[in-house]
Amino acid sequence: MMARIVGRAFSFTSLAVLVVFAAFPIYWMINTALSTDSELYRTGQSWWPTVGRIADIPSVLSDVPILRWLGNSAVIAFGTTLLSLALAVLAAYALSRFKFYGKGVSAFFLFATQMLPEALLVVPLFALFSTLGLLNELHGLVLANVAFTMPVAVFILKNAIDAIPFKIEESARVDGCPRWGQLTMIVLPLIVPSIAAAAVINFFDGWNEFLFANTFIADSEKWPASVGLASFVGQYSTPLSSVMTAAFLFTLPAIVFFLIVQRQIVSGLTAGAVKG
Amino acid sequence: MVTTVSRSHATAPDTAPRRRRRWRNSFTAYLLIAPAVGYLVVLLLFPLFRGIQLSLTDTKLVNPAGGDFVGAENYTNLMSSGQFWNSLLATLIYTAATVVFAVLLGTAAAVFINRPFRGRAGIRAVMTFPYAMPTVAVALVYVWIYNQSGGVLNNSLGVLGIGQTGWLTDPQWGMFSVVLATVWKVFPFVMLVMLAALQSVPEELYEAAKIDGAGPMSTFRAIVLPHLAPTLRIVALLMTIWSIRRFEIIYLLTGGGPVERTNTLVINIYRRAFSDQDLGVAATIGVLGLVLSILVTLVFFGVERRESRKEAAA
Repeated sequence: MMARIVGRAFSFTSLAVLVVFAAFPIYWMINTALSTDSELYRTGQSWWPTVGRIADIPSVLSDVPILRWLGNSAVIAFGTTLLSLALAVLAAYALSRFKFYGKGVSAFFLFATQMLPEALLVVPLFALFSTLGLLNELHGLVLANVAFTMPVAVFILKNAIDAIPFKIEESARVDGCPRWGQLTMIVLPLIVPSIAAAAVINFFDGWNEFLFANTFIADSEKWPASVGLASFVGQYSTPLSSVMTAAFLFTLPAIVFFLIVQRQIVSGLTAGAVKG
Repeated sequence: MVTTVSRSHATAPDTAPRRRRRWRNSFTAYLLIAPAVGYLVVLLLFPLFRGIQLSLTDTKLVNPAGGDFVGAENYTNLMSSGQFWNSLLATLIYTAATVVFAVLLGTAAAVFINRPFRGRAGIRAVMTFPYAMPTVAVALVYVWIYNQSGGVLNNSLGVLGIGQTGWLTDPQWGMFSVVLATVWKVFPFVMLVMLAALQSVPEELYEAAKIDGAGPMSTFRAIVLPHLAPTLRIVALLMTIWSIRRFEIIYLLTGGGPVERTNTLVINIYRRAFSDQDLGVAATIGVLGLVLSILVTLVFFGVERRESRKEAAA
């Protein structure tokens, strides 16, 4: 009995410590966003946010061009998602429903590319993009991002199509439904949840992406929020509270959407890793 | 090699119309997969070969299309450069520390959260926030938390009478601070995967252990841990490859400093390419980094094969 109480107390305390560890930096971002610079640098930051300062948030928009940057991030993320899904749906359908010579090699190739460090590719891609005139363009960034997001989408969608019984397409085929119709009228409607999950994952890969954007986009008007916010690291002329508010606006959609599709994301992440 | 849509037709007699359909089917398959594969050939495979080719030249950033062939010179120069070995060492320290702490913390979190209790869903959601948060935002917050004067870490330690530490500027602490921020960011991934693995442990095993009078510690060691082992190995491999590849958070927190303590291979590539403008040397480090990733993967698959043979024999 005693051992059990000690055990319970131990797991409760450990869990509490872990929750504080996980949540504190996010809390601190919000708290800093609602502080003034004189508190931060002179009188010392309070442990509790001054909630009334939420009303001052619109003034942040004049310190930091965050709306423009978020707009750029959204364009990049949308472009990445659309192109990535278009390619991935077709490839996933082929890998799931056809047998063809070279299938194993194609599948291996799609997934082996995930091992390549972006930092290795950024050098030759920079050279390639500079000859093609794709530097400093949002669509160039989309092209680079899709190379990394599309294989992830293929993986999720192939698993989803594998789980649909083949009989449905079979009977449609017997009734004279062409291939294309089988894909668009039968398979796609059945995998909408997985498409949504893949879309969210791809969207936020595009939304968060920093390395290519930081290297390829020189013009600050075209910066996505990741690069724009990074320009404030170690720079103290802009009020820190404004920077943190902007960072919070950038973080919020990512966390909200993660929570909405968490179940699919987790099953997508774990499908390959968990056995048994 | 059998080309057929329908599994039930796989053994059907090989008549001429069937052969034609079979050919048409594999043609369709190639048509479907060609865009994706072609895309990756142009944007990943081609740049990869271009990178290997660049590593054999003295190409500079100002003229990416130029550069003369210099053979293995970049490689031999790197091999005799202390800066390169320091960078490799930083990569190994960063990777080992991140993987060990993230796997331990993530697994512990999964174990604590596995048991049903009130508010579990909410707590699990809060613990996944770091994983969902954009890395740039993570870096901004941690730079402020670590700030030498005014940062909450030094302020709190100051209350205990501990003097101010330059978490990101003191060579003794730079690596520690970067690892801590990284572990915070990635441990939820381990937690989510291990949670799924824990929930796949059959309930009967727990009951059998209870009947045999096993305590929580011995149940964990004898039943849960062996069940988790294959997942743990894969998670550790993914974490290792991702740590070798990781750029953003190190770049934003320390940029490779203080005194190159966190100058991992990936940071080194970037600095060589875009600060020193030396694309040839940068590509060479990239190729060596890739070799490191491949070696890790091969070692992993070697271990995996030995372990599964052991499990089959047991």
